[in-house]
Amino acid sequence: MTTAFKQNKLLQFGLLLVVFLLLYNFIKPSDDPYLNMLWRLPALIAWLPQWLTDTIKYIMFDWISVEIYNPELEDTEEVSLVKEITRSLSWFVLFFIQSIREFLVGGIKTIVTFTSWDFISDNPWAELPGLPWTVVFGGATLLGYNLGSKKLAALVGISLAYISIFGQWEPTMKTISLVLIAALISVIIGLFLGIFAYRSKAFEVLITPILGVAQTMPAFSYLVPMIVLFGLGDHAGALATVIYATPPMIRLTLLGLKAVPPEVVEAGLMSGCTRFQLMYGVMLPTARQNILIGVNQVIMQCLAMVVIASLIGAQGLGDDLLKALNSLRIGKALELGICIVLIAIVLDKLSLAWANKQTDYFSNLSFSERHRNKFILMTILVGGIILAMIGKLVFGDGINYFFIIDTNKGITTDWFWQAGVDWIITNWYSSLEAFKVWFWEDVLSPIKNAFLGMPVIATFTLVAGIGYIIGGLKSAIIVSAYLLFIALTAWWDRALITAYLTTIAVLVAVTFGGVIGILCAQSTRATKVLLIICDTLQTFPSFIYLIPAIMLFNVSNTAVLIAITPYAMIPAMRYTVEGLRNVSPSLQDAGSMSGVNRMQRLFSIELPLAFPHIVLGINQTVMFALAMVIIGALIGSTADLGELIVGSLSDKDGIGNGLILGLCVAFIGLIIDHLLNTWARARKEALGLA
Amino acid sequence: MKLTKLMATSALVGAGMLAASFASAADSKKPIVIPTHNWSSQVVMAHVIGGIFESMGNNVEYVPADSQGVYEAIRNGDVTISHEVWQSTFGASFYNAMEAGGVIDAGTHEASTLEEMGVPGYVIEMNLCPGLPNWEALKDCPEVFATADSGGKGRWLEGPQSWHGDLMPVRLEALGLADKYSVTFAGSADAIWAELESAKKEKRGIITFNWTPNFTDADGFVFLEFPEYKEGCRKEDGGDGSCGSPKGWLKKAANYQFPKTHPAAYKMFSKLSFTTTQIGQMAALVDIDKLSHEDAAKKWLADNEAVWKPFTQ
Amino acid sequence: MSNQPLASKNEPVIKCDSVYKIFGDNTQRLMQENNNSIDVEKFKNEGCIFGVNGASFEVHKGEMLVVMGLSGSGKSTLLRCISRLTDTTAGKIFIDGENLLEMNSKELIELRRNKMGMVFQSFALLPHKTVLENIAFPLQVKGMSTAQSIERAAAMVELVSLGGRENYFPRQLSGGQQQRVGIARSLAVEPDIWFLDEPFSALDPLIRKEMQDEFLRLQGLLNKTILFVTHDFDEALRLADRIAIMKDGVIEQIDTPANIVLNPATEYVAKFTNEVPREKVLKCEDVMEKQDKEAKTSTITVAAEAIIETVAEAVLNESKPVTVVNKKGKTVGVLNRKSIIHVLFGENAH
Repeated sequence: MTTAFKQNKLLQFGLLLVVFLLLYNFIKPSDDPYLNMLWRLPALIAWLPQWLTDTIKYIMFDWISVEIYNPELEDTEEVSLVKEITRSLSWFVLFFIQSIREFLVGGIKTIVTFTSWDFISDNPWAELPGLPWTVVFGGATLLGYNLGSKKLAALVGISLAYISIFGQWEPTMKTISLVLIAALISVIIGLFLGIFAYRSKAFEVLITPILGVAQTMPAFSYLVPMIVLFGLGDHAGALATVIYATPPMIRLTLLGLKAVPPEVVEAGLMSGCTRFQLMYGVMLPTARQNILIGVNQVIMQCLAMVVIASLIGAQGLGDDLLKALNSLRIGKALELGICIVLIAIVLDKLSLAWANKQTDYFSNLSFSERHRNKFILMTILVGGIILAMIGKLVFGDGINYFFIIDTNKGITTDWFWQAGVDWIITNWYSSLEAFKVWFWEDVLSPIKNAFLGMPVIATFTLVAGIGYIIGGLKSAIIVSAYLLFIALTAWWDRALITAYLTTIAVLVAVTFGGVIGILCAQSTRATKVLLIICDTLQTFPSFIYLIPAIMLFNVSNTAVLIAITPYAMIPAMRYTVEGLRNVSPSLQDAGSMSGVNRMQRLFSIELPLAFPHIVLGINQTVMFALAMVIIGALIGSTADLGELIVGSLSDKDGIGNGLILGLCVAFIGLIIDHLLNTWARARKEALGLA
Repeated sequence: MKLTKLMATSALVGAGMLAASFASAADSKKPIVIPTHNWSSQVVMAHVIGGIFESMGNNVEYVPADSQGVYEAIRNGDVTISHEVWQSTFGASFYNAMEAGGVIDAGTHEASTLEEMGVPGYVIEMNLCPGLPNWEALKDCPEVFATADSGGKGRWLEGPQSWHGDLMPVRLEALGLADKYSVTFAGSADAIWAELESAKKEKRGIITFNWTPNFTDADGFVFLEFPEYKEGCRKEDGGDGSCGSPKGWLKKAANYQFPKTHPAAYKMFSKLSFTTTQIGQMAALVDIDKLSHEDAAKKWLADNEAVWKPFTQ
Repeated sequence: MSNQPLASKNEPVIKCDSVYKIFGDNTQRLMQENNNSIDVEKFKNEGCIFGVNGASFEVHKGEMLVVMGLSGSGKSTLLRCISRLTDTTAGKIFIDGENLLEMNSKELIELRRNKMGMVFQSFALLPHKTVLENIAFPLQVKGMSTAQSIERAAAMVELVSLGGRENYFPRQLSGGQQQRVGIARSLAVEPDIWFLDEPFSALDPLIRKEMQDEFLRLQGLLNKTILFVTHDFDEALRLADRIAIMKDGVIEQIDTPANIVLNPATEYVAKFTNEVPREKVLKCEDVMEKQDKEAKTSTITVAAEAIIETVAEAVLNESKPVTVVNKKGKTVGVLNRKSIIHVLFGENAH
């Protein structure tokens, strides 16, 4: 009997559910403070945010002071050393961003760095003019051709032409300059920390949970600390991006290094490699596949941060996009969003092509052949400049289309999208009324109340119980610890609302995403198309869904869910397709030979085998949905954690509030992550897929 | 030690005394950093003020910033000025930063501001709720302002809760409207504009938080008339909250070093003052005429030289 | 060369003296408690596993020692001790008279860069480098210029008959071709000592045979000192000058292929030799008898080096013993029909 129970997980879950429901029904709020602890725990760490704010501010501004002479004031000033250090770092990052930027679109800061503001005021000619867009366009296309193929060249060319013709050249170049630097810093830091984690087990143990938190914590929650630490501007945007983009690089570097076959390492050693040569000549290149996935992830993450980074001073597309949304110009926001997606695709493909480039030692090239690219590049440069000069003559004081098409002065399809949105609202708003009432009154509202009516002891029993059944005592302790942290803050009820919104978003996303995934997996072409759509949606700024969602569904929980779902569906679709497509053909054949029809094959062979992978997709869906909590908060009406995180931007204790609230969101994510990952791993092992 | 020193400096400068004594010195060529937020009038005004600075020979730089976070940035010197400090929305952030030191009050615009609940003009014109804009009329038509999730009650769409806390729920209670109306907090200004736009298309009734001067002025937004604001009426001041919002100021803020590093520019900035109409014009150039922010600023400067030239003298 | 002291000429290239490799978390502690002496029983009881258990042998210049054993026998571990890819727990290893285990990392790198080459079972090619770049890699690591190293690598490509595939990536080559690259890489620095760790085990049988022939051809050309690890007894017999058979970390027997086949030292070794077709292993010199000056011999002669299989028919057709001659044509012994029959059908056959 007991062994039967030990082996039957279903029975265990059943018992857990019964206990949970009993607790749920019998525990009620109580006037007795001790008895009430079964209902809600006291907010024992409510002091933590304030303490964190004070500590960070103390370290930043009052810890160690030094006297510095300020030539502007002609007086010495007492300044904080820590602040000086972080500001120097900011300056350094900003310098590189600006140099690239001014090379691309012109400016004076780079010159100022080497001279002074007075110099530039006296010598206005010294301003960098920036390259004509035709030169950048030509150069990038040439690069694409040389690194890859005509196809890549066409992709790069068409993307840049689109950006220029649609009048988004300058903001795009501003964004690119920031993204390049942020990505570069992320890749370098990620590589080094990854290598360090590979060499030191202790460091790996230390950094793994930090990576988990950094990846699940909403970027919004560390915006205020970034402003305090690094000031406002492109550098702060870039550094916030780095925090968000580095974790996958570290993970994949570590993963890649661990996967290097021992014999390859030995081959390197026997070739007489030094430690350095072994790492950079043998191990990193061998781990390249994983590291490249890491670089790809970094680029995607950087571009996903473009809009958020603009909240703390990053210039370019993100900033323009927010302004466009503010004046409800959805069409324009859409065009800006497309620019972001295009940069993502172009940077991704170019970096991949570059990494796969090989040298040909035997090509006996003539002088002209060897220097052909330089010739072409020079031609493009000179041609572009001449063209820009002609343009100046032709267009006079108007826009010089051959130099830079001014922001928002290109073609636009704004009116088309605007008309579309108008049409949708006039035609659908009323007809959706019945759905809205039903969805709120019969679906959302009851679920929300059910979450809020859950006694804390029941929540703990449920979460720890699932942890115990799936992963034993260790899992139970881990998930309980996460939960305890949230329960001891002052924000437990808000966390429950966040959990409720996430749960529904995940359910909807998995249902629709799963069905779409299953359908597309039936055909190779549909699979390909779906994966491209997933890539596109992932970098497409989700802020854009916000306005139409509100227009159709008002400021309401329904609108929040509608805005979250398209983003959360991405991993659900991607992992379903991948899981199904990766079921081994021999098993498929075996199925066919046993005479199953298509439906039977799908449900009795493919889905069960793909299920562990799909569960990882569900895990990602949860992460994506949590990341969208912020977008939901920008719509409003939620009273969840996200609302306070957004609010922390204007809060005088915003540093601590933002960080602790962010941790709460991260811990919700990590609980789910731990449970689903543990389950999927065990399941994959059982199926022999690991 | 450091804090008191900074505060003393701020206070002194705030009184405008230092500014006068430094006025003769030349301005630093370091750029004046002007923040841009995500609403049109502010961005256009940033470029207008930037244009005036440039006409005086200063260098200017614009940095996108969150409208609440910006005061911390001014305090640290990352941003030099803020030219739209709204009393009720940013008053708290502004005074917090001033208290911490490093931010000075650089005077007040002529425009007075109002931040209040109101309805789009057509609600009055079409008489959707007879008796508006007097608040008492609300008692008889909550259904006009109901939404799918308000459970039959009328809905007040308030700004984010971080703006004024429970001000509106308290007011509903105090005015005896709580059983007919409920408050929904929007997550951002964008959310309010999106709702307004959507309502306008169908000419639906909607009560929303808004302010003036704003681009909605041109569309004829009407603020509701609540019992007049009296000192001590709000709950935090000991009252029951049964009153409307006071007219508020629109201030300018600056980093404490600005008067010393750019005396001439600071003098202009402290004199600078726009009226509600002028601010409305700036916003309309973008929101109605669809100019870009920069172009709108150029046009405004060209058309209104008589207005801004005197500030520079 | 001639002015080198005589002693160093006779010195073994590789010398192992009671080499131990012990796995287990408590090895270090046990070693300290036991004053660095090894008590096999005690250590095993404490949960230690002996990868290499007291190996002592020498390999001389130009000699090929094949270490044969099944998986887990410790043969690869022994090889890794000698190449110092793994730390040796106890014992001494000398390379050209120098104490390998006392070298610092700089000396070790120098040794590997100039004296050692190694071929791996899984080829262990660098996936991001072409055939040419892979072969040039050890040279570039040494600091040779790109142009020079590529030139040298190109010569190595010819040596292993891979001409025309210089710019292929490993993934574009078959297993046999990949191992040719591995071989070329290991030989690029012209090492004195050549380690091969099951180099042909991952290949198909036909390719394996072809590669063994290729290997013998190369060895004929280069005459390296070789340590060759395999689990394939036939391969060991085919290639070795001497074979060391390992089981559970212990070298059961170390001897020439013929002696192992003729006189297996342990039952374990005998298990391998029983199945071996002797005529394919033994040479004339292994079974010949002393020449009896009186006796008449046949008119034909056979080479001492010749495998029995190749001469059996001829000898059996002769009524008189056949003379065995060495390379210089000097008579070294005679071969009787009886000896051949013994080889072919066993000792009990008459």
